[in-house]
Amino acid sequence: MRKDGILYTVVFSFIITFLFVFLLALANEGTSGIVQRNQELARQKAILSAMAIPFRTDEEVNTLYKAIEILDKEGVRFYKSTQGGKTIYAKEFSGSGLWGTITGILSVDEQVSQIVGIQIVSHNETPGLGGRVADPWFKDQFRGLKVKNGRIHVTFGAEAGSGKANKEEGIADGITGASRTSQAMDTILNGELTVFKKILGGSR
Amino acid sequence: MTAKDLKKISRENLWFNNPIFIQILGICSTLAVTNLLTNTLIMTLGVTFTAAFSNLTIAFMKDWIPRKVRMIVQVLIISFYVIIVDILLRAFLPEISKSLGPYVGLIITNCILMGRAEAFAQSNPPIPAFWDGLTSGIGYMWVLMAIAFVREFLGFGTLFGFPVAPAWFPQWTIMVMAPSAFFLVAILLWIAKNRMTGGKA
Repeated sequence: MRKDGILYTVVFSFIITFLFVFLLALANEGTSGIVQRNQELARQKAILSAMAIPFRTDEEVNTLYKAIEILDKEGVRFYKSTQGGKTIYAKEFSGSGLWGTITGILSVDEQVSQIVGIQIVSHNETPGLGGRVADPWFKDQFRGLKVKNGRIHVTFGAEAGSGKANKEEGIADGITGASRTSQAMDTILNGELTVFKKILGGSR
Repeated sequence: MTAKDLKKISRENLWFNNPIFIQILGICSTLAVTNLLTNTLIMTLGVTFTAAFSNLTIAFMKDWIPRKVRMIVQVLIISFYVIIVDILLRAFLPEISKSLGPYVGLIITNCILMGRAEAFAQSNPPIPAFWDGLTSGIGYMWVLMAIAFVREFLGFGTLFGFPVAPAWFPQWTIMVMAPSAFFLVAILLWIAKNRMTGGKA
């Protein structure tokens, strides 16, 4: 068969594509269990850390997660945990960032007067810029951030850059060089606070 | 192919024909991922791995590849290794996979991979081709790490995420953003060219 003939070219392309795609499919299948377990573990860890429940090992995560109560209210799933007489709630959130959907966990106290914590589960923001939403310094700003008049504020643009939150005033510092992502977080979190307030705030 | 030839290849790829300095390839990722050292290191390791193994594979198969579909086959092999890297990261290093996000997939479009496949692997035996891919990747890596070092230090006051700058140190916002990489790449190019030519244009 001529190497530059059409038949050889087609057969060669077919075989080579089939072979490599097959190997990829195998690799994907082989690791899908691990990937899934990683994702589930990451989700449970995110819920625990958002609710400020400390954990050390993966086994601990499992036990602690089982102790969390799951409530379905008005079609919205809430996670409820009581520690030291205080009840806190958490909820998964998702909203659009700059490039794709940002998903995570937001946790608040019973009165929705203070954020307990946030965690980011997945995002497609620019690494090194908007991708820093998942960095500890950004997330830690929300620990104990006061909710003022049902809202918080994430700074963006020229007002961002101090690197510190004003917890009493409910103002978190946005990410330098990632105004759109900071703005998205502001919109997403405030939207979630409204849901918390509406469903949980009205029931007592 | 002797040890001397291999040494020549590495000298070329690391300095005299450096992918960034001379071939001006892979500039897009140089601008995009170099504001944090950790991301830069993982990304360039991915590029190095892919360049080495795609070169090796292409060099092995080159006699069977019809000329007409040669580039398509090269892209196929490159994407194969990139997706393997992505799958491995997702399964075994989920944290890093998360922080790199879409950039792993974008290794496919890194011009160095295509460049080396077409310029070297297509016409050389497997072992030198592997070595060429590996050293090209390292040539790319050290330049990017140098840029990331400056950008992370001046932009965030940290190195590999550890704070090293004193508290009063002002963070240069521009260093965090892509434009600063333009200046730094240009300055580095200028210095490197100057050294190579001994100041003569």
